[in-house]
Amino acid sequence: MSMNARDMGRRDGAFEREPARRVFAAELRECRHQFREGEDEKSPTFVLLPTGERSNRIFLVGTLTEKQRQGEQNVFYRGRVVDPTGTFFIMAGSYQPEAMQQLAKVETPAFVAVIGKPNLYQKPDGSFLVSVRVESITVVDKETRDLWTLDAAARTLDRLDQLATGTSPDIVKAKEQYPTIDPVVYRKMAYDALAQIKM
Amino acid sequence: MYEMDYSETAERISRKFSQKGSEVDSKMIETKLRRLIDEFGVQPSEAERSVTNELAKEFNVPALGTGGAAKSSGGTEEKKITDAVPGEWVTIEGKIVSVSTPPSPSIAQSGVIADESGAIRFVAWAKSNAPAMAVDSWYRIESAVVDEYKGVASLKIHSGTTVKDISSEERALIPSTTPIKDLHVGIGSVRAKVVQEWDASHERMLQSGLLGDETGTIKFVIWKEPGKEMLTVGGVYAIYYAQVDEFNGRLSLNLNTAMIMQEEADIPVSGGEASVKGAIVHIAPGSGIIKRCPVEGCNRALSRQNYCPVHEIQPNFHYDLRIKGWLDDGEKTHNILLQRDAVEALTGITLDAAKEIAENNPLGMDEVFLQMRDLVLGRYITCKGREIDNRLLANSCERAKFDSGEHAALLNRAGGSS
Repeated sequence: MSMNARDMGRRDGAFEREPARRVFAAELRECRHQFREGEDEKSPTFVLLPTGERSNRIFLVGTLTEKQRQGEQNVFYRGRVVDPTGTFFIMAGSYQPEAMQQLAKVETPAFVAVIGKPNLYQKPDGSFLVSVRVESITVVDKETRDLWTLDAAARTLDRLDQLATGTSPDIVKAKEQYPTIDPVVYRKMAYDALAQIKM
Repeated sequence: MYEMDYSETAERISRKFSQKGSEVDSKMIETKLRRLIDEFGVQPSEAERSVTNELAKEFNVPALGTGGAAKSSGGTEEKKITDAVPGEWVTIEGKIVSVSTPPSPSIAQSGVIADESGAIRFVAWAKSNAPAMAVDSWYRIESAVVDEYKGVASLKIHSGTTVKDISSEERALIPSTTPIKDLHVGIGSVRAKVVQEWDASHERMLQSGLLGDETGTIKFVIWKEPGKEMLTVGGVYAIYYAQVDEFNGRLSLNLNTAMIMQEEADIPVSGGEASVKGAIVHIAPGSGIIKRCPVEGCNRALSRQNYCPVHEIQPNFHYDLRIKGWLDDGEKTHNILLQRDAVEALTGITLDAAKEIAENNPLGMDEVFLQMRDLVLGRYITCKGREIDNRLLANSCERAKFDSGEHAALLNRAGGSS
């Protein structure tokens, strides 16, 4: 019986994978609040997007413009991925060997699709950096980049709509953490990104 | 390590009580569970049972507990099986529909007994000196006790119980089936189609998969036992008196006790037809080209060493294609499983081409995985198929196309209200 139960548990997929949020570089760059859900060491960490949604994982498509191998003992790669609004900073280290090899293989410049985890760092000079730890990166075509731009714009507008009327705890927290956020700025960002898609 | 989530279990228990009209604070339940599991090292399922029973006594909710504090003051009522409640002494008349091998020498016989109203498991203790009962015969069982183990009611035949063979009374029992969505823990009968078969995850398991009817789907399992046969995928069966178990709030059918008859007919299986658009954010190991067991009706995926969990080494395997992964729409991530046709259409790599790659490349089957990953990961696709328990079994997939109408609409939406 217990074996039966154990098997069913695995089948059930009781585990829910964190969705990959669609967010433009110009918004991700503004994150200043990171938190952990639960007290366990393995609990997921989230950055709070200024538009009022938590994000443990993001999906982005843009142009890999630079990549750099760094470190002696612990080799890791850094890269810059550009979208219509700004730049994502990505990295993959030896703890993500597969992602690192994928990144090592890409010749710049190239359209890439990146799935990864956003992390917020404070640099010694006090400024903040949001970097994305790569789970996987693949070379894609321009159409995929354009589809992502539509997707990211739609999701950003969805979040702005929620922010205007919603009362979820994350929205309340975002209003506390980002008191100066101006929805008009993000709406214009989405518009400008869409306007850059050439037919 | 797997993290036990107490709050979910607590909610489940609390829900059971609120269905019976008692409000129990789930925080308090959680504290009790935590204490049992963390401090006393009690197994989670046992802790759940124990807390449920403790509260059932406290709130006087007889149907959930084993105590039955308020009911039955020694008297033994004649009852229909469906009305038998844990904690009660009962007298019933029913037909033995199955007997199973007793798990312990202290048990003389166990199985399932049914009447017109339903069915229940029974256990006859060795010490009861009850006569061995025969399948298909009718018995009157006086003064047995109904109790509960792991949420499943069963009838205990003990030394104070009288068992009489009443088969001479010529009674017909036409078992009725229950729509899958109406099944509950205990014994249940269904008429259903085998819609999926899963890889066996345990050496004692003969078969597991999914049954469906017009109202829903349910997992099933058959454990290895002499005389047990596997069901055929796509086949329709009348299944009488299977054991309905619950785990993590989900039901499953154990068919080892059941009478199973294949039917000629076909039945439509409830909806679940889903279409999901999103980006592929992960391709799982076990995707690409795989080897399958050639034994008739098996078809399980083999290990790299050609080992089938049931039929051992199978050098005459056949190849197949599949992709397992996650499709993410930004709000929710769907587990997807693409079959060969969908894989070929999406990647442009046919089974023959994949074989060619696997046999001629130094990386072998891994090369097929890597090529397919690079072709589909990070791409937007639309998958159509059946979605069950957050897993989409896709029978068709296509790459999304840029839609200039959608582009224009979004420009309007972004520019319109600024």
